[in-house]
Amino acid sequence: MGITLSQIAEKLGAQIIEGKRGGKRQINRVYAGDRVSDLLNQASDTTLIVTNLANSSVVRLIELMDVPGICLLNGVQPGPELVQAAKDHDAPIIISTGDMFQTCAKLHQIMETERAPQTI
Amino acid sequence: MPRKPSKKISANSDAAGDAVGSRSCATENCGAGVSPASFQHVITGGDYDSGGDGAKRIKDVLKKIGVDPQLIRKTMVAAYEAEMNVVIHAQKGMMKVAIDPAQVDVAVIDEGPGIPDIDLAMKEGYSTAPPAARELGFGAGLGLPNIKKNSDRFSVQSVPGQGTRLRFTILLQPQQTAGPARNSVQIDAAKCRQCLRCVHACPTLAVRVQSGRPRVLDHLCIDCTSCLAACDSAAIAMPSQPNVPAHTAKTVLVIPGSFLEQFGPGVSPGQVVGALRDAGFTDIRLLDEWENALREAVAAYARDEALAKPVFSPACPAIINLIQVRFPSLLAHLAPFLTPAEAAREEITAPHVVWAAPCPAQCTLLRAPSLLTKIDLVDPLALRQKAFEHIGVHARQPRSLPRPAGPRQTLQVSGIRHVINVLEAVENTRVNDYTLIELYACDQGCFGAPVWIEDPFVAQPRFEWARQVHPILVANGRAGAVRRVEPLAPRAGMRLDSDMRAAMQKLAQIDQLTRTLPGRDCSVCGAPSCAALAEDVVLGRATPDSCIYRSRPPQPPASNP
Repeated sequence: MGITLSQIAEKLGAQIIEGKRGGKRQINRVYAGDRVSDLLNQASDTTLIVTNLANSSVVRLIELMDVPGICLLNGVQPGPELVQAAKDHDAPIIISTGDMFQTCAKLHQIMETERAPQTI
Repeated sequence: MPRKPSKKISANSDAAGDAVGSRSCATENCGAGVSPASFQHVITGGDYDSGGDGAKRIKDVLKKIGVDPQLIRKTMVAAYEAEMNVVIHAQKGMMKVAIDPAQVDVAVIDEGPGIPDIDLAMKEGYSTAPPAARELGFGAGLGLPNIKKNSDRFSVQSVPGQGTRLRFTILLQPQQTAGPARNSVQIDAAKCRQCLRCVHACPTLAVRVQSGRPRVLDHLCIDCTSCLAACDSAAIAMPSQPNVPAHTAKTVLVIPGSFLEQFGPGVSPGQVVGALRDAGFTDIRLLDEWENALREAVAAYARDEALAKPVFSPACPAIINLIQVRFPSLLAHLAPFLTPAEAAREEITAPHVVWAAPCPAQCTLLRAPSLLTKIDLVDPLALRQKAFEHIGVHARQPRSLPRPAGPRQTLQVSGIRHVINVLEAVENTRVNDYTLIELYACDQGCFGAPVWIEDPFVAQPRFEWARQVHPILVANGRAGAVRRVEPLAPRAGMRLDSDMRAAMQKLAQIDQLTRTLPGRDCSVCGAPSCAALAEDVVLGRATPDSCIYRSRPPQPPASNP
């Protein structure tokens, strides 16, 4: 059960900025949103956060809430502070070129496939 | 209450202090008997990059002491939201944190615009955040609700134009969620002379003297002062320290206004305040500040026509207990605010507070564990003695008679018997001519606490007169009424059994048994009435044999030989 961030990035065709230990952390769940309060409430150490926010509040999300990774949207590149936080806290950042809707649609498919029982 | 048992004994405590130390509540609910980790963190308004540093510091401590990740998560959500509130809305603020193995206690105090309508601010989706904050993903209007949701105890108070004070606690050990002590009536069985006056005095029939030992049934006790007032042998007492604790210039002294009128007509409240200052208490707060603030807030609240009338002001904690236990149908009449003592407890974040609480109900509220503030409950009479030692140097000021009071807009009822009469009348809808009622368990409010010397009906009007003259007694707007966040729930005190069917059966048994008892209400058995004994028997608290008339039935007439 679960999928790693590297696998997700590969299937999304997205760039990945890896943490110290690479993109090995397990993801069981995805939450997308642009309100800090929502992200705080939904964050967990196995929840991939998808957000348009690429600023200090996302740095705090990584530092305070132990999220395993962040998925940024529209090809937006993270600033140096965010990259540093990702490395320090082993929370890789993947950069999707799609917008929120497109990215979430793909992520949904990836997570569903992951959950589906394996058939021969 | 609090921690630091090693520092509990003050420099003032002599051997006598230690001997009665077991009566003090200073060692109760003690997290784990260790000093809490504490720090203060300055928050700068508008500094979005540094916002979160305080939460980070808390997290570092929690991780080091091995706190469960889920509890760290809750703490982080509450702390970060609270910190960002200051960054977004205020110029500057301070986060005060204390952590021990049992709880995380946080106060966030800012100098900002304040929150004009806290009810509105607590609604999800309401926000006044500026565009800069919204661009960063804040301003969803979920901040305060998020803090409340993720904490075990939460309060917010705000004075528009001055700032906002927010406090929250996250419990790290589940056993503490049972809540703080329910009452502070302490019994010293060795001193009891079994006069049974307390048994008769208790308005909720919560006292028993069985096997020669007085006992309070906690689920019925409303923490009023009736048994204390009835007891002549000092077997019933409050958990205060018998000596004035050591204090520094940073110690806050909290006294009820009634304290200032315990020195006779020749000593004015101003002189008493001067004497307390001479005794080293530089920061003196009168509980009346919060009482006044509550009065104003409740008066504004009571103007709402849709509310159940009359509205009761939650000024006295024992009355809230009474209504919960005996008049649950009237709970909706209570204005949803904290009592003045609770509001003061929430506002004061100084590390050390000496508090002269005149009644057990107030003591109970102050024993709710807080790590940020160590509250020493002092015997009010010990403090009075201390003040007396310093009063001699103050010139006595002449005082004239009080002015006649103006027309009363609010009905004030004091004294537990009167209060119960009035509540019964309200329950029977026989009081429809008042819109607002303030109820106090003691006569004339806290002036009637049995700890005092001056008759409350003499002291209270004197104090009313004095407050027009002495600057310390004039309302200064520093205290605020605090909205009650959690609604009050009925207490099951009067219920015979949690299962209604079983309760009905027990009721029938009690009725049946009561009819077999003599009905003299002599209390020789230790229960206040025959009906109370019947209830005790059915609920397993006593045996029918405790009735001397039943265990020694009259002999049948002997037949003539």
